[in-house]
Amino acid sequence: MTATLDDLGAAPLRPARRPRAWWQAPWVDVVQFLLLAGALFWLAWRGANAIDYRWQWSRVPAFFYREIDGEIIWGPLIWGLQVTLYIAAWGLVLTLAIGLVVAILRLSDSLSGRILSRVYLETIRNTPLLVQVSIFYFVLQPILGINNPLWTGILCLAFFEGAFASEIMRAGINAVPRGQWEASQTVGLSRAGAYRYIVLPQALPLMLPPLTGILVNLIKHSAILSFVAVFELTTEARNLIGDTFMSFEIWFVVGAMYLVITMTLSAGVSWLERRVAAKR
Amino acid sequence: MTPGTKRARFHWLDLVVLTTVIGFVVYVFYRVDSVLVYRWDWSVIPGYLFRWDEETESYAANLLVRGLITTIRISFWALILASVLGVLLGVARTSSRLLPRLIAWGYVEFIRNIPPVPFLFLFYFFISSQIIPLLGLRDAVESAGPNGQAVLAVLFGPANLIENFASGLISLAMMSAAYIAEIVRAGIQSIPRGQYEAGHSVGLSSREILRQIVLPQAIQRVVPPLAGQFITLIKDSSLVALISIQELSFLAMEIAISEQRFFEVWLTVGLMYFVVCYACAIAFGWLERRMGRHLR
Repeated sequence: MTATLDDLGAAPLRPARRPRAWWQAPWVDVVQFLLLAGALFWLAWRGANAIDYRWQWSRVPAFFYREIDGEIIWGPLIWGLQVTLYIAAWGLVLTLAIGLVVAILRLSDSLSGRILSRVYLETIRNTPLLVQVSIFYFVLQPILGINNPLWTGILCLAFFEGAFASEIMRAGINAVPRGQWEASQTVGLSRAGAYRYIVLPQALPLMLPPLTGILVNLIKHSAILSFVAVFELTTEARNLIGDTFMSFEIWFVVGAMYLVITMTLSAGVSWLERRVAAKR
Repeated sequence: MTPGTKRARFHWLDLVVLTTVIGFVVYVFYRVDSVLVYRWDWSVIPGYLFRWDEETESYAANLLVRGLITTIRISFWALILASVLGVLLGVARTSSRLLPRLIAWGYVEFIRNIPPVPFLFLFYFFISSQIIPLLGLRDAVESAGPNGQAVLAVLFGPANLIENFASGLISLAMMSAAYIAEIVRAGIQSIPRGQYEAGHSVGLSSREILRQIVLPQAIQRVVPPLAGQFITLIKDSSLVALISIQELSFLAMEIAISEQRFFEVWLTVGLMYFVVCYACAIAFGWLERRMGRHLR
């Protein structure tokens, strides 16, 4: 778990406390919370049993890996996870590239650069990702002649997250004090030189934590690509359910997999944030 | 030299940008015309937007426009349901007791860390098999009488799709509530301490302070981000197409497949979403500026 009890929202200040009774102690709340969570699980389990659902948890490990003659053969969920991480990794690289170009265009003096970046941002912000995926897959893929849905998907996600990355980068670049630009001009650096040697190195630590958040979003949003035959984790899960009808087990397991990955990354983000804040 | 401060002027960068854009457009036209030999046929689209109704002798909305109306309806009701849930969760997040904080924290982290698509699939099973039968919507609509049914049709869409509509609405609202809870929490925490202390000093109880002092101010502050959440909801509502809720994206998929006109249909639908969301963004921006006027 990433949050300490303090992060859960500090209680507003109140007058001096009276001594608390034992049932007001924090551990009572934790026990109550666990009981409640247990009750929810029990309800879900009973609901599934009410529709004559046959639980087959014993079949789940085989979806991860099987051992045949001492050799480990990875199952569909692991392939799906690999593809999801592959999408997120390449997506991040492209997102950063697109974000940087758009941020610089937006901050440039060039009129067409500003217009282009503005049109791009508004288009991405005001249309659903699902529609963007459809347009990339059904319209741009045949037109541009990309013959691999995986890369169409990565490209689409990168263009989607690129809009958010560019805003983060613009904020980061704007946060570098004006004097830094003036100083770099004084020592005779060109604008590109100022970006490269003076501004970006200072803006980078500011941008890093929110940009890591983009990695979390890339993983979350890659699930939408299951809509267009990209074989990532959600697609594999849907195919498995089609084959085995074990919908509850598989969605619970896949949900838990996403939860573990994104929560680990989120913990990393808040750690980075605290480090950057401590350094300033 | 500070970026973005000078007035825009023609620049060597313009040359690069314009060449790239023109090159891209020319390439696309070349590919469509000469390589794919695709013949555009936009004539199918207007028929899906509006149709001539023989009975009433007037134009009536057809699939795409009806889908857009469903999208807006579902987003609107989901926003209301999510706001109620979100305010409760947001208040719970700032409670002085640990239990409500734990519950709200668990809910928010759970929703925010699972991708929307698996969440929708998982919850659709529960909602459609457990909650919807409990609500007894179909019976409620049938017992409403003709006038009541007409009103319900305007508010919630056709009666035969009401259960489908409701399960999409509930899933969307549950997802959105987690984000609204965070907005409300930020709003409550932005109220200065002095307000609490003033409340205590005039002898109000904690509950009265929350209800009469903190929430009214906090809600005023969170209205602009909540309006923004409406745009997010319109966009996210396209996801419920994956669980066969008959809104704009779902109908677009069906039409694109049945007509085999993927280019035209998806570009039209993209434009429809853009127009609605962009119009909302402009309207909310204008409202925010107007509302902020008295504060200045």
